[in-house]
Amino acid sequence: MDQLLQALVSGLLLGGFYAVMVLGFSVIWGVMGVINLAHGEFLMIGAYMAWGLFRFFGMDPFASLVLILPFMFLVGYLLQIVLINRIVERPHLMTLLVTFGVSIAIANLFKIQFTSDPRNVAVAYNGSVQLAGVTFPIVKTIIFGVALFIMVCLHLFLQRTRLGKSIRAAAQNKTAARIVGVDINRVYAITAGICIALTAAAGAMLSPTQAIFPFMGPPFTLKAVTITALGGLGRIPGALMGGMVLGVTEIFVSTYVPGIGTNLGVATSFILLVLILVVRPQGLMGGLRPIDAEAE
Amino acid sequence: MRNILSQLSLLLIASLLLTACALAPPAPVDEPAAAAPSADEEKIIYLGAAVSETGKFSREGRDTRQGYGLWLDWVNNEYGGIKVGDDRYKVELIMYDDEGDPDTAARLVEKLINEDRVDFLLGPYSSFLTQSASAIAEKYNKIMIEGNGAAEPLFERGFQNLFAVLTPAGNYTRSALQLLAEKGAQSVVIAYEDTAFPTSVANGAQHWAAEYGLEVLGVETYPVNVADVSGIMSKFKELDPDVFVGGGHFNDAVLFIRAAKELDFNPKAMVITVGPSNPKLIEEVGVDTEYVIGPTQWEASMSYADDYFGTAAEYAASYEDLWGEPPTYQAAESTATALALHLAIEQAASLDTDSVRAALRSLDVVTFYGPINFDEKGRNAGKPMGAIQIQDGEILVVAPSNAAVTELNYPAPPWKDR
Repeated sequence: MDQLLQALVSGLLLGGFYAVMVLGFSVIWGVMGVINLAHGEFLMIGAYMAWGLFRFFGMDPFASLVLILPFMFLVGYLLQIVLINRIVERPHLMTLLVTFGVSIAIANLFKIQFTSDPRNVAVAYNGSVQLAGVTFPIVKTIIFGVALFIMVCLHLFLQRTRLGKSIRAAAQNKTAARIVGVDINRVYAITAGICIALTAAAGAMLSPTQAIFPFMGPPFTLKAVTITALGGLGRIPGALMGGMVLGVTEIFVSTYVPGIGTNLGVATSFILLVLILVVRPQGLMGGLRPIDAEAE
Repeated sequence: MRNILSQLSLLLIASLLLTACALAPPAPVDEPAAAAPSADEEKIIYLGAAVSETGKFSREGRDTRQGYGLWLDWVNNEYGGIKVGDDRYKVELIMYDDEGDPDTAARLVEKLINEDRVDFLLGPYSSFLTQSASAIAEKYNKIMIEGNGAAEPLFERGFQNLFAVLTPAGNYTRSALQLLAEKGAQSVVIAYEDTAFPTSVANGAQHWAAEYGLEVLGVETYPVNVADVSGIMSKFKELDPDVFVGGGHFNDAVLFIRAAKELDFNPKAMVITVGPSNPKLIEEVGVDTEYVIGPTQWEASMSYADDYFGTAAEYAASYEDLWGEPPTYQAAESTATALALHLAIEQAASLDTDSVRAALRSLDVVTFYGPINFDEKGRNAGKPMGAIQIQDGEILVVAPSNAAVTELNYPAPPWKDR
C-alpha cells in the first residue's frame, strides 16, 4: 500500500514537471504549426543558465527564474523574428529542418563552450519530508508547485487578456485574425518568446535533479512529442493530463516490474505514443485540434 | 483522416531526424601529421586510439586521454623515444572521438588500422566501447592494449590481441564487501547499468556477497543514459538493506547519491563504482558524498613504484604539473597501459605484432600503478583491487589492509542526522 502511494506521488510529481516542460512545445505547435525539434536544447540552455547563476553567483535555481524568464523571452522573440517567421507558413518539412538545424547548432555550441562534462547544481535542501508515510522529495515538490503556478498563469493569460485572445485567434484561424487586425507576426513572436522562456524555466527547475550536459536535449524533445500526442495541441489541461499519465506510467513500470523496470520506463513513452496514434489520434482529451487548417 | 495521416508522418519524420542526430559522422579530433616518407628521417611508432571526448563517457574519456598524453609527453621528451634494438623511436598517438558510441568506436578503429596505418592500438574508455573496438583489432590482428575495460566477457572471447592492465570487473567490489562483512553488514542490494562492465561488477558483487555471507535482497538494472533512478531507489528503500552497491559510471554515482538523499533511503554503506574515486564527484555533489565507498584500481597514496615514473605519488605530481588536476585512477591506468606496451616493445626489440604479443605474454613488472603480469586471457592477474571511502571531503584508502591509510567509517548515519 505504502509503495503504491509512494509510486503514485512520485509519478504525479514527475508528471507535473513533464507538463510544464511540454507547454512551450505544445503551444508553439498548436499556434504556429511548427514542431520545434530544438525544444530540448532550449531546456538545456535554461539548465545551464541556472547552473551558471548558481555556481558563480550562488543564486538559487528557482530564484534565477526571475532572470531566465525575461532573458529567454527575448531570445525566443528574436529567434522567431529572425528565423522562424520566415518558415511558419511553408511546408512542414522546412520547419523541421530549420528547428533541427538550430538544435544541432545549440548543442554543439554548448559543447565547445562548456565541454561535455556533466554539471550539477547541488542545492542544500535536496532532502525530503515524510507526510502520511509517503516521502516527498523537496526539490521535486517545489518543481511541481511552480509548474502548477506557471500553468495557471499561462491559462489565465490566454483566456483573459487581449494579447492571449489574439494568440488563440491566430491559432484558430489565421486569415480571420488578420482580417480583424491582429498583427500575426508580432503575435507569433510573442508566443515564441513565452514558449521558449517557459521551456528554459523548466530546464532551470530540472537542474537540481539531474546532470546537465550539452546533449541532454533530444530525450526531452521525444517525450514532449509523446505528451503532446497524449494531451492534444496547445491545451494546458491536456498538457497537464498528458504529463501526469506519462509520469505515473513510467514510475509504475519501474516500481512494479522487477529487475528491468527502469529500462522499460524509458520505453513506455514510445509504446504509449504508438498506442495513442492507433487508438485515439486526436489525443486523450479529444476533439480539439487548434492547428490552423491551412498549415496542413 | 488526411489530417491524422499528415500528423503521423510528421511525427515519423521528427523521430527519424532525432535518430539521425545520433548517427551523424564524428569529426576527427586529432588530424595525424603527415607520415615521414623517407627512412633517413626520424623513426616513428604510430599508436591509435578512439577515446570519448563527447557523450556519456566524456569525463572518464578525458582522464584516459590525459593519461595517454602524460606517457606520450614523457616518452618523447624525457625518455627520448622507445628503444627498439639500437634505434630510438619517437611515438605519435592518433586519437579520435568515439562519442561514447560502440559503432563509432568500431568504425574509428577500422580507420586507424586501414587509413592511418597505426602499429598498435590503445583502448577506449569503458568496457562497453572496448567490446566493439577490440573485435575490430582482433579482426585485423592488431594488438590492442587497454586499461579501461574491466568486464569479464571481454576476455572470454578467445582473443589473442587484447591485453588489459587493470583488475577485472568481477573483483571490483571484493575488498569493499569483505571489509563491510567484517564490520557486521548483513544484507546488500545491487543496481547496475545493463552494459558489459557494470554487469560484470554486479555479477562479481553477487558472488562475493555470497562468499562473505551477505544476503542479496534485490537486484535492479537500468539503461545507459538513465535520467532518474528514483524508481529503483524507492524500491530498495522498502527492502531496508545494510549495503547498497551501484555499478555504473560517473554520472550514475551522482544520480544514486541524489536519489538516496531525496527519498531518505538510508543504507549503512553505499558502494558505488567509478564515481567516488574521482575528486570531481566531491566537487560536483558536495558533502552528500561523505561515507560513500568506491572500489579503486589505484590511488596516489599506494606504495607502488617503478624506474620510469617513480612512486605513485611522484606520478601524481608530474600528472598534476602537466594537466593541472590530480590524476584519477582512470588516468593512471591509461598511463600504465601505454607503459606496458612500451616495455613489451623494448623487450621484443621489434615492432612485429607476433614478437610484441609474446613479449606482453611474458611481461612481469611492477610499475607505479601496481604489478603487471598478463594471464593467458590477457587480463592482469597480478593486481588486487583497493577500496576508498570519502571522509571529510578526502578520498582515503580503506582496503586492502596493507594499502589502507585509515579505518572504514561504518555505519553511515541516516541523511537527516548529517
